[in-house]
Amino acid sequence: MFEDPLALARLQFALTAATHYMFVALTLGLAPYVLFTQLSATLRGDRSRMTAVRFWGGLYLVNYGMGVLSGLVMELQLALNWSGLQEAFGYSFAAPLAIETMTAFFVESTFLGLWIFGWDRMGRWAHLFCFLVVTATAYSSAWWVLVSNGFLRHPVGFEMVDGIAHMNDPVAMLTNPAALFAFGHVVTGALALGALVVGAVCAYHLMRGWDHDGVFRRGIGYSAIMMCVMPFLVVTFGGMQFSYFDRDPPTTGLTRTAEEIEAIEAAGQSSFVSVANTTGDVVMMTSWALMFFLGPLMVLVFPLIAERRGAMGRMLRLAPGPRLFGGRPPWWVRWSLAPLLFAPVLPYLASVGGWVYRETNRQPWVVVHHLTTAEAVTPLSPGAAVVSFTLFTVAFGVLAVVTYWLLIRYARRGPEGGPLAERRQVEPAEPVPPVHTF
Amino acid sequence: MTLMEIFASPLLTASLLGLFVVGYLVLAGSDVGLGMLMPYVTRTPEQRRQVVAAIAPYFLASEVWLVAAVGVMAGMVPDVEHVVIATLWPVLVLLLAAWLLRDAGLWFRARVDSSGWRSACDTAIVAGSWLLATSWGVALAGLLAGELTLSPFTVVCTAAVVSLFALRGAAFGAERLVGATEAESADVAARATRALARVALATVLLTVAVAVGLGVLPAVRVEAAVLLTAVAVAALAATTGPTGPMLSRHTSAVAIAVPGLIVALSVDLSVAQLPGMTGVFVWSMLLPTVPVMLLGQVWLYRMTRRPAAEPTFFA
Ligand code: HDD
Ligand code: HEM
Ligand code: HEM
Repeated sequence: MFEDPLALARLQFALTAATHYMFVALTLGLAPYVLFTQLSATLRGDRSRMTAVRFWGGLYLVNYGMGVLSGLVMELQLALNWSGLQEAFGYSFAAPLAIETMTAFFVESTFLGLWIFGWDRMGRWAHLFCFLVVTATAYSSAWWVLVSNGFLRHPVGFEMVDGIAHMNDPVAMLTNPAALFAFGHVVTGALALGALVVGAVCAYHLMRGWDHDGVFRRGIGYSAIMMCVMPFLVVTFGGMQFSYFDRDPPTTGLTRTAEEIEAIEAAGQSSFVSVANTTGDVVMMTSWALMFFLGPLMVLVFPLIAERRGAMGRMLRLAPGPRLFGGRPPWWVRWSLAPLLFAPVLPYLASVGGWVYRETNRQPWVVVHHLTTAEAVTPLSPGAAVVSFTLFTVAFGVLAVVTYWLLIRYARRGPEGGPLAERRQVEPAEPVPPVHTF
Repeated sequence: MTLMEIFASPLLTASLLGLFVVGYLVLAGSDVGLGMLMPYVTRTPEQRRQVVAAIAPYFLASEVWLVAAVGVMAGMVPDVEHVVIATLWPVLVLLLAAWLLRDAGLWFRARVDSSGWRSACDTAIVAGSWLLATSWGVALAGLLAGELTLSPFTVVCTAAVVSLFALRGAAFGAERLVGATEAESADVAARATRALARVALATVLLTVAVAVGLGVLPAVRVEAAVLLTAVAVAALAATTGPTGPMLSRHTSAVAIAVPGLIVALSVDLSVAQLPGMTGVFVWSMLLPTVPVMLLGQVWLYRMTRRPAAEPTFFA
């Protein structure tokens, strides 16, 4: 397999995309929560809610960094390794990506810079506006990418002119069911993922009995509500995606006859791909089933923690002030929160599984019924393919591990130790070299 | 001409691509160049922190110009992209690796409070910046000569591009490192602009000499290249004088824009007519966003003009 540049290029794209998606899913899932918290902090002029914004915003940024780095590699990799795709479908498949890079990414990154730097330098409404733009562009970015990706799965809205696809119906591209339903499914899945990450962080701190400024109590409330709603929406949009499964795209026949298509599909069967396909499917559905029960269970636990006064509060020994409980919380509170610590694994698995399912469904096509994977790959020497594969896979592994380590570290430190926390102490003095080095 | 024809015209597409590439060189040239000069302009940990604070979050808003340029290439001029990638594949892989290294250093630097971690990240930033500038030099030489070879032309052309990046970085440092308490780094950077302008001038002239002497540039349109090179030479020559440090902010921008313009105007990349619908589609989405894009860029540029005294997210 390692002598085959095509296999390497595919594996590399799959690894990069899966990594990229792990980070952007959290971006998409966390952004609305940060925005919502900042809005309510701004409306009320509430410092304690602002602490929460700084805390969740800090995690958002650490995660975003890796989203950008992996996104850059995705973009360049598509250009470097899949030139056949660009050549034939550049004007159609890549046009939404072009719009995305020029509008969504461009604006998102700039306004995120403004948000990072603007804490003490602009008015609070202007600062809120910056994050509103960041959230909106993150979602529009996901939308454009899915228009592109949906085009591969269910190509619509173009005609073939001398072997090059020319878009002739942008509206059909924008209303492609493979893009619309996927967007709904991806967004609701990402919101569930974000909610469970928030829930896990809150559970960790609540188990210790800490609740700085109510950050974690509110967080777990958000998580519980989202987890009651999202699984229903996820399964609805997921089910809608089956609608185009056995339907030929309307453009079938523009490049190849039915017999050619049949021959290619018969020759393109690979047991490895079909095993990956089934695994992805099973992992996604199983994770969903497990998650389905979490929301209602959380709603049962949540009032026990949310209530601070009254008979229930006294019974639970809930205390005012930063310590939620009068001491260490009772064992049954700790045990009922513990599963939440591991719950984020489920949506992460489901997301990667879902993508593996979708992308392998297309095989052996890159653009269904038009272009095969083998035709799309850049003709590379095996040596070059191995070098690029090794380089980027290793680099990615290291970056992803460091990022997750940092995320967990910051999450455990809580609001005081976050990268955006106020009044960070000045760096300890390092020994100053005695002589000029220039 | 109908609107559809205007949106499809090769000139418009090429201008958009040129705008993003030149925007990238001028804006990212600043933070890449300053990253290159970091060991030279700093001596204490606090000075290094200030340099990184000047680079970030500015780099967030400058690298998107290149991302946008890649997007335009893929979606609007796939033929050009094909040629560029076929010619430059190895150096583009190098460029991507350098980009990743540098950005990882920037994102991770302030995350762990230990001097070892910080110096590892600083090393990544400096090495990544040098490697990035070098890759751009090699890529330019490859585009001008039509192939990647290890010729004297490639060497001098790379040296010229690297020194243009360094000059841009020094000018940026002279402007942005003026701190509330001390301005030592800014002074060093300001003084470096004159020397770097001389180096850049010499390497640019050498590049022209080698190109003419060896006749390595058959495909290049001579008039445009000569005119643009003259502009760069004039800008650099002005910067070598006693007022150099003052002028450098603008002259370094002009000089670093020239390589991009030379490729755009004098290399025959044959941008094709866009299929009409693609043009309408892309432009109708792009035009309404332009005000927001400009607002963000100008706002960030102005806000980060004052250096951050307090530690921020990046440093
Ligand atoms: C939190 C994550 C998550 C969860 C719980 C589910 N999925 Fe999913 N699924 C995704 C996350 C995801 C995804 C990563 O977002 C995918 C990949 C591509 C896409 O559009 O969404 C996906 C793809 C995907 C596809 C492939 C579409 C195609 O090939 O074009 C189908 C049919 C489903 N899903 C259906 C379901 C059903 C019926 C689920 C519930 C039982 C389900 N998904 C749970
Ligand atoms: C972000 C989540 C994504 C994941 C996890 C993912 C996963 C995968 C996987 C597993 C493969 C290998 C399939 C195989 O070889 O059988 C693949 C291939 C590919 N994907 Fe994706 N993908 C994602 C998104 C996208 C998007 C958004 C696009 C395009 C806009 C895309 C374009 C491609 C291409 C061009 C290939 C190579 C050709 C092929 O093997 O079919 N992918 N991806
Ligand atoms: C379903 C798949 C994808 C989704 C949902 C998605 C979404 C996002 C989001 C939200 C970001 C912002 C970074 C962050 O918030 O962490 C991002 C970054 C990025 N993505 Fe993706 N993306 C997907 C696939 C792709 C593909 C296929 C490409 C390449 C063609 C790509 C290229 C990029 C680039 C270049 C960036 C960095 C942009 C910047 O400088 O801000 N993404 N993506």
